[in-house]
Amino acid sequence: MSAVLEVDGISLSFGGLRVLNEVSFALEPASLLAIIGPNGAGKTSVFNCINGVYRPFEGSIHLDGEEITGARPASIAERGLARTFQNLALFVNLDVVDNLMLGRHHLMKTGYWAGALWVGRAKREEHVHRARCHELIDLLELGDHVGRPVGLLPYGVQKRIEFGRAVAMEPKVLLLDEPVAGMNVEETEVMAGDITSVREELGMAMIMVEHDMQLVMGLAEQIVCLSFGEVIATGDPATVAADPEVIAAYLGTPEDAV
Amino acid sequence: MTDDLRLLRSAGARIGAALAVAAVVVTPLLISSDFWMSVFIAAGVFALGGLGLNLLTGYTGQASLGQAAFVLIGAYTAAWFGADKGWPMLLWMAAAMLAAGLVGAAIGPFALRFKGNYLVVVSIALVFVTVHVLQNWDSFSGGFNGKSVGGISLSFLVDFGDLSIFGKQFTPEQGLFYLTWIVVGLATLAVANIIRTRPGRALQAIRDRDVAAEVIGIRVARNKVIVFALSGAMAGLAGGLDAARVGFLTPGVAESQLLLSIRYVAVIVVGGVGTVVGAIVGALFLGPLPELVEEFSDKINFTVPLVDQPLLKDSATSEGIMSNAVFSEILFSILLVVFLMFQPRGLVGLWHRMVASLKRRGTPTDDAGPDIEPVATPH
Amino acid sequence: MDKFLQLFVSGVALGGIYALIALGFVVIYKATGTFNFAQGGFVLLGTYLTYQLAVEWEVNFYLSTLIAVLAMAGVAMLIERTVLRRMMDQPAFTIILVTVGILLFLQQLVPIIWDEPGLRFANPWLGEVVDIGGVSISHANIWTVVYAGVVFGAFALFFKFTRTGIGMQAAALDQEAAAAQGISVARSFQVSWAIAGAVGVLAGVMLTARGGDALTPAIGFVALRALPAMILGGLDSPGGAVVGGVIIGVAEVLTAGYLEYEWLGANFSSVVPYLVLIFVLLFRPSGLFGTKEVERV
Repeated sequence: MSAVLEVDGISLSFGGLRVLNEVSFALEPASLLAIIGPNGAGKTSVFNCINGVYRPFEGSIHLDGEEITGARPASIAERGLARTFQNLALFVNLDVVDNLMLGRHHLMKTGYWAGALWVGRAKREEHVHRARCHELIDLLELGDHVGRPVGLLPYGVQKRIEFGRAVAMEPKVLLLDEPVAGMNVEETEVMAGDITSVREELGMAMIMVEHDMQLVMGLAEQIVCLSFGEVIATGDPATVAADPEVIAAYLGTPEDAV
Repeated sequence: MTDDLRLLRSAGARIGAALAVAAVVVTPLLISSDFWMSVFIAAGVFALGGLGLNLLTGYTGQASLGQAAFVLIGAYTAAWFGADKGWPMLLWMAAAMLAAGLVGAAIGPFALRFKGNYLVVVSIALVFVTVHVLQNWDSFSGGFNGKSVGGISLSFLVDFGDLSIFGKQFTPEQGLFYLTWIVVGLATLAVANIIRTRPGRALQAIRDRDVAAEVIGIRVARNKVIVFALSGAMAGLAGGLDAARVGFLTPGVAESQLLLSIRYVAVIVVGGVGTVVGAIVGALFLGPLPELVEEFSDKINFTVPLVDQPLLKDSATSEGIMSNAVFSEILFSILLVVFLMFQPRGLVGLWHRMVASLKRRGTPTDDAGPDIEPVATPH
Repeated sequence: MDKFLQLFVSGVALGGIYALIALGFVVIYKATGTFNFAQGGFVLLGTYLTYQLAVEWEVNFYLSTLIAVLAMAGVAMLIERTVLRRMMDQPAFTIILVTVGILLFLQQLVPIIWDEPGLRFANPWLGEVVDIGGVSISHANIWTVVYAGVVFGAFALFFKFTRTGIGMQAAALDQEAAAAQGISVARSFQVSWAIAGAVGVLAGVMLTARGGDALTPAIGFVALRALPAMILGGLDSPGGAVVGGVIIGVAEVLTAGYLEYEWLGANFSSVVPYLVLIFVLLFRPSGLFGTKEVERV
């Protein structure tokens, strides 16, 4: 029992409206956990609590044994947490390499002085990290898009670049918010392949929020199902899929179902 | 495969840089007129202040109308330490940068809390407050009467105020020209280096998507404070050099200083927002425009048909449509609007586009090269 | 005490003018999310236009104002249509800078058309004074407050009860949702610019016709003093603009009347709006009544 990320009883509310209610789960090293649930169940809110955009009013979050509850996003990122966004959040005027390099911002040291003078260390650092980004670009097969502002690239490619930027951060835990939302079947397959190859090559633990159940079933080792801000089921995919409460939450109670 | 990280990647860029250096070296050898030297020094001053503004606006996405305040602060600080106290050049330069930089950093608390929108107003407030202080702090600034910058030291290693190389004696204006453009060159190099390394990338990330920047570990607030300080410091140094050029400082009125701030904005917009050399290109075209209009008003002037009046006013008869000053300002305003609408990356962007289309025509199978059109940022 | 009350009323009147200018800033900010520096140009050009009609051509003062209001509403709409509409998807700083360019342009038009450094432009009520309980209050101040009140009242009614007004509120909240409801976002932009142009004229006429000041091109920048009022009240709150305007106006007039320390310098009151702004912003970044910016990720 040495979970890399432990979410312990977090609750969140907005103006009296309870969005999350004592949500708990643990992420094992190198594993992939999927959070599922109907719209408005609070999935993205869980992510926002973990990476510090929101602050839960109770409960705690530990990253690799270290408490991160309520810390600022930038500082949580530095401690080894990366995420992607449901709506793309790329730096649109920069190209793939620069976007990935920005993922490595916290791994680098060059400040304004060293950068301005382009002294030995700044130069070395730049070369080392660029090389690393190019390895990743090769792994994710994004080489064709180098040199163009990412804002001009197709949506599916942008989604993969955002994934790449998160991976480039070399996080202990990677949060993926609907990685294949809005993608067609082909693009979804490419993305699934990307996720798999990153896990094989780099072995980082991931949490994924996703509606595409086929993808979830294929990739996740563990599933947490949320409904109205509460965890209603936790377990391996087969168990959760068979859970009557989960089925009810997804399909509605028999009388609601059309 | 590792990227080519050289600053000057293409042959064209290397030739351009070499020509620019050659132009700086040769110009004073060919031109001895004090007027023209002063014009080119003024352009250098605008280039330096513009480089700072571009770092703030072009690379970090923070609009500001405060550049004139930093220029003023730098100019008066330079005059106080350099002329009144007789400090050596490097020290008054450092003092001018430090004073303006600190005021820039003092905008920090606002940068921490606000998006770009608010900061514009805070920057206007800064201009009004700075001008007011300079108008009234007699012991430091001489108040409305102004302050002489005579006797300011321009010497480090060599005396730029009394420059003589291989027996060729240069005028003080020619010396100041070299000094100014050496500073511009060093500042350009520094900005270019910042932009291609970690801190510069962070600034561009803040410009494009500040929330996402925070989430990947960029300290947005801290970087904004630093870039305000840097931008202020560069404008401060520009102000110091300008003080040495004009020799006498007056605070003017806040409104005219706001016009100066807008002129800095026009310089980077016309040159190229978010490009390193944009400020220099813009400064050469627009920086000394009012001085040039003043000098050459007879040559520019023509009789406007329909109204049958001369375009520029004759100072003696006051016959004509507009004064020289109005003419320059209206040119600035039109250029500003037209470039922002149709060529938001300025002359530099236009140049890149021409080069790209020429290349494409030459090698049809080759990739189109970097797309220089800016991508709209969602806000 | 009398002096205080007199100054206070004068400050409220000035505040009413600032509030009117601020209203022009607010209505465009609310609709389009950007600062419109050209507002200063509307104030300036509109006032000169009114001057031209009322003084040079001797048209009735009120009719002159009305004509100028309509004309500036038209000019503002034209600018929106030809310049700003094309830039809707540009980054915020680009749009702000364009409006700065327009301000500069309008400002330089004035010395071309009205070729005199300062013009006399007084309103019909100038000089008349009424005595209320020992405090003499000028008619101009009373009229200014009444005017501002009427304009704000009309504005509130427009937003509450007209189809266009309600549609504009919807568009300000969520452009996509409003568009889905058949509300034209483009139209809402147009109307907001027209309103800004119109209230700019009213504010400018009140400002210069208060007496004392000559009509000069500098009032385009004086209008910028309403920016502190706008931010103080919260960028997107018309009601806040009133409160912000009054606070700034009263603070400015009271400092001019009472604070006479030499070290503060001559004309200290003209920077007071900005100092109040900086002070308030340090403690309440969203102004007094503004909605806190919440960014969705």
